[in-house]
Amino acid sequence: MRRGRRKNWNTVNAASLARWIVLTTFLALTGLSYVYLTIQLYHLGDRKKALETELAGLRTQNDVASAQIAALTSRAALQRRLKEGYLKMIPISENNIVRLNPPVRPNNDEAVRPVANQRPNR
Amino acid sequence: MKWSSRSRCALVCLGFVAIFSGFSFRLIYLQMLKHDEYAGLAAEKHVHKQVIHAERGSIFDANHDMLADNVPVQTIVADATHINNADAIIGLLSRDLKVPIAELNEKLRCDRRYIIVKREVPAAEAEALRAKLRAQNLRGIYFEQDSTRVYPNGSMLCHVIGFTDFDHKGIDGVEASMDEYLRGQDGYRYVEHNRAGQEMVLYRGQERAARNGYQVQLTIDLNLQMIVENEIDAAMREYHPKKASIILMRPQTGEILAMANRPNYDLNQRSDAKPEEKKNRAIVDMMEPGSTFKIVAAASAVNEGRLRMDSFIFCENGIWNYGGRPLHDHKAFGDLSVQDILVKSSNIGAAKLAMSIGEQKYYEYIRRFGFGERTGIELPGEIPGLIRPPQNWSKISITHIPMGHEIGVTALQMTAAMAAIANGGKLVTPRIVKSVTAADGKTISTLSPVPLRQVISPGTAGLIANALRGVVSDRGTAAAAAVPGFTIAGKTGTAQKVDPKSGGYEHGKYIVSFSGFLPAERPEFVGFVVLDEAQTSKPELNYGGLVAGPIFSRIAEKAARYLDLAPHEEIRKAVPVQRVALTNASDH
Repeated sequence: MRRGRRKNWNTVNAASLARWIVLTTFLALTGLSYVYLTIQLYHLGDRKKALETELAGLRTQNDVASAQIAALTSRAALQRRLKEGYLKMIPISENNIVRLNPPVRPNNDEAVRPVANQRPNR
Repeated sequence: MKWSSRSRCALVCLGFVAIFSGFSFRLIYLQMLKHDEYAGLAAEKHVHKQVIHAERGSIFDANHDMLADNVPVQTIVADATHINNADAIIGLLSRDLKVPIAELNEKLRCDRRYIIVKREVPAAEAEALRAKLRAQNLRGIYFEQDSTRVYPNGSMLCHVIGFTDFDHKGIDGVEASMDEYLRGQDGYRYVEHNRAGQEMVLYRGQERAARNGYQVQLTIDLNLQMIVENEIDAAMREYHPKKASIILMRPQTGEILAMANRPNYDLNQRSDAKPEEKKNRAIVDMMEPGSTFKIVAAASAVNEGRLRMDSFIFCENGIWNYGGRPLHDHKAFGDLSVQDILVKSSNIGAAKLAMSIGEQKYYEYIRRFGFGERTGIELPGEIPGLIRPPQNWSKISITHIPMGHEIGVTALQMTAAMAAIANGGKLVTPRIVKSVTAADGKTISTLSPVPLRQVISPGTAGLIANALRGVVSDRGTAAAAAVPGFTIAGKTGTAQKVDPKSGGYEHGKYIVSFSGFLPAERPEFVGFVVLDEAQTSKPELNYGGLVAGPIFSRIAEKAARYLDLAPHEEIRKAVPVQRVALTNASDH
């Protein structure tokens, strides 16, 4: 009985089995890699989208800030702040002005300096 | 009949072959023969063309100060079919967006899929609203990225800058005339969405980036503009005219340094402005110029060689009957030199100057000075003015046109004509745009001065400029326009207004003006000041030299300081307006 059973066993071709195992493993790894890389691409896409959204948000903040700076430094705003007393303007004294072509000065030191025309009283 | 096991196996195999062959044929049919059709149908469902909006270019002044910019805003829209809790959404929107509940009820309680709830919501407000909607799990409200135009200087320079509509299309001013450059070009991108409506970045298709609009730099100097705006406001408070315009221009290049009109409006509140306030009166309003127009008669007569500046003309002692109509001077003048005709502003003298060269030649000079045609400035809506050809003139037209009657001109045309006297006789196209640059600073276009023609010889221009210096002297009609330390050349104008109903002149209603340049020898700028129906305390003060002249003087003085022009004349005391009024009953 034992001898008969031993007779029915098939021999295994180890080399062939190894070949099939390697092939199957390679195919499985290839498939898994494909799936993994595809998922990675999806994740990178989502990450790219998130970064784009963040960048757009930063641009928006930057644009809003630029507009605020432009509004706060506009002539109208500065004029308003000057009237309200938040700004002080100090006239530049003559000795602090450097001119490439110095003006011709009248001989008389007591000569009248440039003044605005007077308006009629109303 | 009994099937053997082998036959049964073969039959089953054949069955499978037939079934899988059927599948295969069907697959080949769908994937190869019908591929394009079904791929198109699938793409329609998932692929969308997403527009990438281009940003509108900014507008700057000559010193790169911002005049017009964009601010990101959101447009709040709704899909009524997606709204899950109308009462809660309407309540929230009403509170946060300050939209009346009745309006929201009308808008949102329907089946429409695209409803604009509110435009131009600031980004911070929109973000806060989005967070509240999410927190309360309210659906059906969406946010669209948009931008709006802001003008940091409000009403300053409003007629020059203009404005855009909701679709960011330029409607008025430089916004309209330079719209092609400012607008930019939208881009696009083909994107796919998953079932949740989220973009699948992996499957992005063809893409073209947006090209943002170019930046436009104007010739306007905001510092000079500020000086002009302050003075025109002061003039409005003091004289309460119906309209007023002031222009500063560089005579050699035609660059407009400042341009202001009243009435005006706030560009950021443009929807509230009245149509009358939106008019750029310096280029769209026609007026009879009055005596400032005498420069044309004098220049043409001298340029033709018929007369010299020291030639004398008899001015009929103040009244001259010509063509059955009397022509008056404001004072009785006897013999006046050509120079003194300008200095004293004699109407009879100016008429005789024009008659010395004849109607046809005089008309040619009027046209050569640019009257009757658009100047070509980069602003929309400019009018050419009105000058009739000599064959349509009446017998007395040759006596009335030289003193600025029977013709219609714009303030800009008068400024350009005075600039031709100041720059040696060349008529230069007024320009408001200096350059067009890309966002990276690359210059797209630089606008150079465009000399149109040599109107009069440089010698004649110098002689007329010299004569105009006399106008701004104690002898002339515009002593109050003087700026101490500087030589000024200029000409006053006082034109009675035409009654549009009767066609005659209205009593007591005048358009007063002053046009001049500084320094007279080497002009840095030409200025033109005009006030329509100025209200003076006394009628005898309502003259160009007494109303517009001092305004020019104040502007010119401040502008000279700003431009750091060195005074090079012995500094004299400015002449007070009252004394000028008493000693010089100036007319036109």
